[in-house]
Amino acid sequence: MKRFAAVLGIGLLAVGLLALRPEPVAAAAAVGQPAPDFSLPDVKGGKHALSSYKGKFVVLEWVNYDCPFVKKHYGSGNMPKLQKAYTGKGVTWLSINSSAPGKQGHFAAAEIESRAKGHSAAFSAYLLDTDGSVGRVYGAKTTPHMYIVDPAGKLVYAGGIDDKPSSDAADIATAKNFVSAALDEALAGKPVSVATSTPYGCSVKY
Amino acid sequence: MRSRASALLVCLLAAAPSQASRTPSAESKHARVTLAPEVTSIRPGQPFWVGLRLELDENWHTYWKNPGDSGLPTTIRWTLPEGFVASAIHWPLPHRFLIDPLMSYAYADEVWLLTEIRPPSQLAQAEVAIAARVDWLECEDVCLPGQARLDFTLPVRAVAPERSEHAAVIERFRARLPATPTFSARAAAAASSVTLTVAGAARPREAYFFPARAGVIEHALPQELGRTAMEFSLSLPRAVNGALPEVLEGVLEIDGKGFELKLPIAGAAAAPPATEATPGAGALTLAPALGLAFVGGLILNLMPCVLPVLSLKVMSFVRQGAEGRGPLRHALAFTAGVVAFFLGLAGALLALRAGGEQIGWGFQLQSPGFVVFMAMLFLLLSLNLLGVFEVGQSLTAAGNLAAGKTGLAGSFWNGALATLVATPCTAPFMGSALGFALGQSAAVTLLVFGVLGLGMAAPYVVLASSPALLTRLPRPGAWLERFKQAMAFPLLGTVAFLVWLFGRQVGIDAVGWLLFALLLVAFGGWAYGQAAGVAGTRRALMLGSAGTLAVAGLLVGMQQAQATPQGELAVSDGWVAYSPGELLALRAAGTPVFVDFTADWCLSCQVNERVALEREAVRERFRAKGVVLMKADWTRRDETITRALLDHGRQGVPLYVLYGRDPQAPPRILPEVLTPGIVLAALDEL
Repeated sequence: MKRFAAVLGIGLLAVGLLALRPEPVAAAAAVGQPAPDFSLPDVKGGKHALSSYKGKFVVLEWVNYDCPFVKKHYGSGNMPKLQKAYTGKGVTWLSINSSAPGKQGHFAAAEIESRAKGHSAAFSAYLLDTDGSVGRVYGAKTTPHMYIVDPAGKLVYAGGIDDKPSSDAADIATAKNFVSAALDEALAGKPVSVATSTPYGCSVKY
Repeated sequence: MRSRASALLVCLLAAAPSQASRTPSAESKHARVTLAPEVTSIRPGQPFWVGLRLELDENWHTYWKNPGDSGLPTTIRWTLPEGFVASAIHWPLPHRFLIDPLMSYAYADEVWLLTEIRPPSQLAQAEVAIAARVDWLECEDVCLPGQARLDFTLPVRAVAPERSEHAAVIERFRARLPATPTFSARAAAAASSVTLTVAGAARPREAYFFPARAGVIEHALPQELGRTAMEFSLSLPRAVNGALPEVLEGVLEIDGKGFELKLPIAGAAAAPPATEATPGAGALTLAPALGLAFVGGLILNLMPCVLPVLSLKVMSFVRQGAEGRGPLRHALAFTAGVVAFFLGLAGALLALRAGGEQIGWGFQLQSPGFVVFMAMLFLLLSLNLLGVFEVGQSLTAAGNLAAGKTGLAGSFWNGALATLVATPCTAPFMGSALGFALGQSAAVTLLVFGVLGLGMAAPYVVLASSPALLTRLPRPGAWLERFKQAMAFPLLGTVAFLVWLFGRQVGIDAVGWLLFALLLVAFGGWAYGQAAGVAGTRRALMLGSAGTLAVAGLLVGMQQAQATPQGELAVSDGWVAYSPGELLALRAAGTPVFVDFTADWCLSCQVNERVALEREAVRERFRAKGVVLMKADWTRRDETITRALLDHGRQGVPLYVLYGRDPQAPPRILPEVLTPGIVLAALDEL
């Protein structure tokens, strides 16, 4: 009897553990709809929930410091410039990394800090989405992949950073930057004219 | 100043020293790229293909024109001498790489991206340098951008260029380029998906649609494949954050073969019904189809090819009536023969379809061999009626038409003969019924064909079962012999028609040989007839020569039937030849199009054309409305047209389809029996 109970208990436990496996999530972040809420830790361990930033514009930037396309925007100073300019206007800028452990772009906390410093990154927080669940919900495909949430929590932009998909820094000067255009319009209270675009970059390393 | 020595640089990814030389090849960390023409010289004015070979390490890939969820397509920026024009890249069919949850459309191992270069018609130089800057992204788990400047020189010669060592592999990759579709397709949008429906293609094991641009569909989600008897459909999940364009553009892969598609996307939330409102497979149900089949069978008795045989049937009734021979039993035997042979015909059609042949009703007349056989058969029948020879001295059952001795078996074979001679004719209503039938299960098909046979035999059963009607039939007399001989001439008329049809299918020279073959057969028939009046060796001689002549005629005829057709089927003036690509283009431009599916052997088609379509008033209205007239000539076997017919739920001709100015509206199908009024009314509604 005892042995039977033990076996039964272990069996139930195993089934229970299997059920706790993260389910594959379908992309649910659509422009014009409320942006899905999430809660992610930052490099220092503090928790950040999207809902806690209600009342402010939030930019979500999917990032991977080893990706040539991200390097294009950081090496040229383009991304840090955007970060400084808009955080200065009260926008919360969240850099999110969804790389799985062992994959490109996944770093330890100290490494992240030194990389960020080396790039002069000016994000509000660098969030770790190690299991990739937030990236999947948002349908984040590339690094960089940009999303803008308005103070009411609605998603107003989802797409690429600009209209010249390449890894060549020389293209930045002549490219139309969708993020700054959208933020400028939204901050002025105008509707965002280009709310979606095709994102480009390396794949997110789920 | 540019000289041959000051060449272009080749940049390697791992900072190697740059070299000033002509190099068609370069290397990066995981890829080898080569620029190679398919020719060894350039002839002014003659275009040639240049391949960009990308050969990658294992597990590494480069991207298609739509890379999918991430990545960048390979680009080529050409530096060409004055007057040279390079096409856009022709991309071979890509492969799918799914690294959950992201999908890439890419190439692994080795791929040749092809470009066609067109030199000007005048070239002053003796040598020409072609250069290109190639950018690509090579990815495994991580991605590395690659860049190379490649070039080659070719001499200019006035003669046709020879193939280079790369010509064979370039040819192989050209075969892997997506083709123009041989089927028809349509796209309809719903709330979260776009349904791509394809008709007129064989049932696929698997299918996948590669969109030409990102932001249209979710690349990583599965595309559900749905199959019905006549069509298959793919449910493409719409992109979450992307605007649906007006046109769905991309490559549809069906069992490993790619087809270029560019379709307008119909409607929004209320997805239009899958089948168009036509009297085709979708709209017809079993009971009405059976009704149409029965009526079609009745009308078949009046068709020119059946009428002579019908009259012979009447003659045998007359004889049986005179001999008091229980005509009802004979009528039923006749019915059995008709039905059995219609079922056999249906069975043959189904068996051929199951074997993969794309055929519809009327397939038998598309075969010159069948036409030759029918011509000889009708010729022998007419000679028999004229009294050149009699059948039945030595043979027992085969279609004994003239002698008085008809047993029940004779009636059965009469029925079989009637069916055989009916095959060149498709009566009105038969088209819709057969169209419905062949799209259903085998059992339904056989049922519809069986009812068709019943319809054809019905008048005789009615006649035979009514003694009152029988007594009204004239008594046999001398008139019967004259009537029998007169009936030979409609049969000879049918022979003339078949010879003309053969000529349209194969050519005038073959017609000459066919006439000679018919001569041999006729001579053989006469010899056979002569054998009746003699005995012994002379008889044997006559029979022998009859047999030899007939066989010789048959062989000559069949051999001619195998001859390659001379020249294209001429399209009459004012009409353009049917082409699915052309039709799609005209529809997309909003031009109304009238498609006439016809065949030379289809008598109702010919009648419709003379009576309605070629009338001056009707042609004038076509012109006034700016309608493009397209003729789909099904006289010979044509898979494209067969598929188009299947798409409309039809198995044979005639079919008249009128497309309006709105590319998204379904077309209007006109009835099988046309009058000028019907056509004018339809045109007025445009």
